[in-house]
Amino acid sequence: MNGHPLLEARGVTVRFGGLTAVDQVSAAFAPGELVGIIGPNGAGKTTFFNALSGVIEPSEGELFALGQRLTGAKPHRFAQQGIARTFQTPRVFAELSVAANIDFGLQFAGRHRQASWLLKDETSILNLIGLAAQAALPAAAITPSQQRLLEIGMALATRPKLLLLDEVAAGLTESEIESMAQLIRRLRDDLDLSVIWIEHAVTTLLRHVERVLVLHQGRKIADGTPAEVVRNAEVVEAYLGDEMVDVA
Amino acid sequence: MNTKRDLLVLFALAGWALAVPHYGSEFAVSMALTCLMYATLSSSWSLFCGSTRYLSLATSAFFGIGAYCSALSLEQLGWLGAIGLGAAIAAAVAVVMGAAVLHLRGTYFAVLTFGMTELIRHAITTWEKQVTGTVGRVLTVVPERDTVYLTVLGLAVLAILASILVRRSRFGLAMAGIGADEQRAQTLGVNTRLVKISGFALTAAFAGAVGAAMSVRWTYIDPATVFNPFIGFQTVLIALIGGAATLWGPLLAAVVFSLLAETLRLQLPQLYMMTLGLLLILSVLYLPGGLASLRRETFTMWRDDIRSGWRELRAGKAKKVPA
Repeated sequence: MNGHPLLEARGVTVRFGGLTAVDQVSAAFAPGELVGIIGPNGAGKTTFFNALSGVIEPSEGELFALGQRLTGAKPHRFAQQGIARTFQTPRVFAELSVAANIDFGLQFAGRHRQASWLLKDETSILNLIGLAAQAALPAAAITPSQQRLLEIGMALATRPKLLLLDEVAAGLTESEIESMAQLIRRLRDDLDLSVIWIEHAVTTLLRHVERVLVLHQGRKIADGTPAEVVRNAEVVEAYLGDEMVDVA
Repeated sequence: MNTKRDLLVLFALAGWALAVPHYGSEFAVSMALTCLMYATLSSSWSLFCGSTRYLSLATSAFFGIGAYCSALSLEQLGWLGAIGLGAAIAAAVAVVMGAAVLHLRGTYFAVLTFGMTELIRHAITTWEKQVTGTVGRVLTVVPERDTVYLTVLGLAVLAILASILVRRSRFGLAMAGIGADEQRAQTLGVNTRLVKISGFALTAAFAGAVGAAMSVRWTYIDPATVFNPFIGFQTVLIALIGGAATLWGPLLAAVVFSLLAETLRLQLPQLYMMTLGLLLILSVLYLPGGLASLRRETFTMWRDDIRSGWRELRAGKAKKVPA
């Protein structure tokens, strides 16, 4: 590393017509960090992700990956720089097999990138996300929770340095959420990935991450450890309510 | 995907088509030539449009550009040179056109490609009237019938060969990804703009080459003939009815429709267009994968559908009677 953060947003603002969805958000993410982003509905979490992955071009502000300016670049450039993401509703290639979905990322952004042995090929990625048994099935035929795992697998196939996870635990059962959290921790620990994780289920998220950003009406109102954030007066007022303090 | 089998089928068909000029009548050869022309046009159209689901109506623009290139340069460049030039200029126009409109999807893209085709046609008409003071061109030196036939056959083989090879390449995978979910493909590292423009240019090169080769059939060409939007529409209809996502569908439909066109158009031209339109509607409604997706199960499914529909109809009637 050259001393620069893995990904840095400086004053990122996204406007849709008159609506400001993300308002002057600055944040830097270091290698190996496991960061959560929380905030009420409409707080701008997903829009912020879209800006971080190049899917939306910010109206204002700058983005840097390892010090290199990425503002205004197309999503494939972000992917080539090692920034991978999942989508809230799984966007797998329904007609392709599970294995071919993984292969897609390996063929493009992941093609010339250094990879840990855990991301060596299709089989190793399928083993990592636990879908080896479904490899030959069309992606449309697997369960929604398996599709969420496949989304993560597709992102991993680009051999990223930073993984943006958008509500990967939504709609999962208690035990599925727990194993998802285990998987995410494992990705961070074994692959040395940075992970930024948006989740609506705040309690789950706060249990697993080491740092939390809180967005409210497009602005960043807090950034710190879960313990700090739940005691932040503004956060409690805007979002969490008093009972949440016990969690951390 | 069974590449070996596809290649074998391709060479067998090509060998068979190669023999046509030796035993076929003048009429049979002309019909086979039409078949080959549409086979090339719709296979190469499907190569890009079928996989990315960008519906282009610009085929007649590229065809016409190719035809004009060959009319203007045949004497200087010779036969293959003229065809090469037609393909190259058509591809270059496609790059410019693609850069301007390939960020649009669906109807917008289709309408704009059609609009640009008309623009090119009118631009050339005006240019001829104002600058050269003519309308149309007379082709004085034309190659023999068999040369034209073999050239178009060669182009058809190339177009299908290109489809076979592209399907198993990263380029083909990228186009399929664009067709399925363009943004997802982008976030997985596909430079979608580059892929789309290259694919569009490849399609255009084939249409331009076919136009260049076919222009000599007319001996006299003018914009209304070679930029005829019907060529573009028919290409799209054939590809969709045959199954634009499949390898053999466009070829199959091209043969069926060229035969149908030659037999019906002479006696009943309106009937041909009506048949084409009707088949398009039926295939979009009941066979979205095109003719090539027809299986035995499709017929069983239709039969069951009709049966259950009939039963419902009768049950409905039976209920009404007592009331």
